[in-house]
Amino acid sequence: MSEPIIEARNLGVEFVRNRRRNLRLRESFIHAFRRDRRRPQQSRETFWPLRHLSFEVHPGEAVGIIGKNGTGKSTLLKLIAGVLKPDEGEVVVRGRVAPLIQLSAGFSGDLTGRENVNLVASLHGLTRKEIRARFDEIVDFAGDQVRDAIDSPVRHYSSGMKVRLAFSLVSRLPHPLLLVDEALAVGDREFKQKCYKVIDGLLAEGRTLVLVSHSQPQLTRFCKRGFYLDRGKLVVDGTIQEALDAYNGPPSEVDAEED
Amino acid sequence: MTSSLVGVWRSRNVLQYLVRRDLAVKYQQSIMGYLWSLLEPLGIGLIYYFVFVVVMERGGRGGVIPEEHYILYLMSGIFSFMWTSGVLSEATGALTAQKALITTMNVPREVFPIGRVLARSAEFLAGIPILAVLAAILGVDFSRWLLVLPLAILLQAVFLTGVALLLSSVNVMMQDIERFMRMIQRLVFYGCPILYPLVLVETSTLPVWVKVIYKTNPLVGILEVHHAAWFPQLFPSAGLLITCVVGCLTMLVAGWLVFRRLEPAVLKEL
Repeated sequence: MSEPIIEARNLGVEFVRNRRRNLRLRESFIHAFRRDRRRPQQSRETFWPLRHLSFEVHPGEAVGIIGKNGTGKSTLLKLIAGVLKPDEGEVVVRGRVAPLIQLSAGFSGDLTGRENVNLVASLHGLTRKEIRARFDEIVDFAGDQVRDAIDSPVRHYSSGMKVRLAFSLVSRLPHPLLLVDEALAVGDREFKQKCYKVIDGLLAEGRTLVLVSHSQPQLTRFCKRGFYLDRGKLVVDGTIQEALDAYNGPPSEVDAEED
Repeated sequence: MTSSLVGVWRSRNVLQYLVRRDLAVKYQQSIMGYLWSLLEPLGIGLIYYFVFVVVMERGGRGGVIPEEHYILYLMSGIFSFMWTSGVLSEATGALTAQKALITTMNVPREVFPIGRVLARSAEFLAGIPILAVLAAILGVDFSRWLLVLPLAILLQAVFLTGVALLLSSVNVMMQDIERFMRMIQRLVFYGCPILYPLVLVETSTLPVWVKVIYKTNPLVGILEVHHAAWFPQLFPSAGLLITCVVGCLTMLVAGWLVFRRLEPAVLKEL
């Protein structure tokens, strides 16, 4: 069998639960004089959104990731994309990644759609010539609404427009591994149908897909293999049907759900 | 550190795009944009020229440069300072402001602060022709500047890269350091030989330890090298130059280490 395109060994990442976000110098200065009042060392409490994950994904596979909210699906995609670093174990990705995570391809709100497409595509290694050759295609695919607004800042776009442009761009990158995080949930039905065709095409070319979704039809349509995540553990690594059964099956003992 | 150096080198085209975008947003790629970038340093220069030369008649103090050349001394320091000050204010937010890109795309994160250092060198580079014209008008011989100016630029780039790496990563964890930057900019402006020649500090009645601290600031040496491009007599002594080189390299290594150290936490926080 070919070399795996994604290889995770005992992967884990740790978050601090009650870290006071945006710790400020001013506050630490002020609190210095009345320490130990209110915060009895809660700050060191940590949790593992993902831990002890090991798996291999081979080129051409399509993997669906299923799980309730807050079980680490997006965290896993971020680790694969390399935008989060594991605290334990490692994940090796052989080849470039086309990521569509957090419903965004990395667009910044104050740049126009055109500038964002140029910037993100060039950061993904496309030359200016390649971008120019694909630009119209990308914008056409994203729809009339986006085409009319291509020269206004992305912060004025609706979330649907943003996702459409992002998907359109990311799916046209030549990278072998495509990560999609619930992005298809946002577009309308017509756009979804267009996306399905594109993804079918990419899979037919032998690209690898990792898809996070809550939609059963989507998952069964594209993915043969499924991961079911529960509270940060990879509970099922089997066919997509097995993973869906585990997800739909009798809810596991406790309902205390972390979010 | 070597691996991340290699990573940054491989991403040099990414760097190029980031810098170009920063500049395009700021100057809209126009001639007026170029002139605009000169407005602030020239304005500051004229103000101090007015105060120190016209009103107080103190331009020639220290006796190392003729009074009529004071404006050139002043401007060469101010252009260098503008670069430092631009980095202090903009590199601080280099990661927080570009979080959309950083949280979706796997490029070496160092390119974001480094990109800001390069983009902010634009005003400085734009100022060089102005300085050359000024020197020609004043009849200052600048045959040696070609040798000295690159040294000054290199030292300053090394130092500022360290500063940018440090500030950008720390700023993610402590977001109010951005506000201290205005004060630090002031401190740098008055605490370096920009308005006054270094000689005045050296010959002042300040206690020796204050003078030593003053000169440990690598920017002092950097500014003296900048000045030496136009006034060779100001080239720093061997001691000051070594302090400066060591200081710049230390800053770079320290900034890089802090950045590496904080990177996993920064990615979680963004």
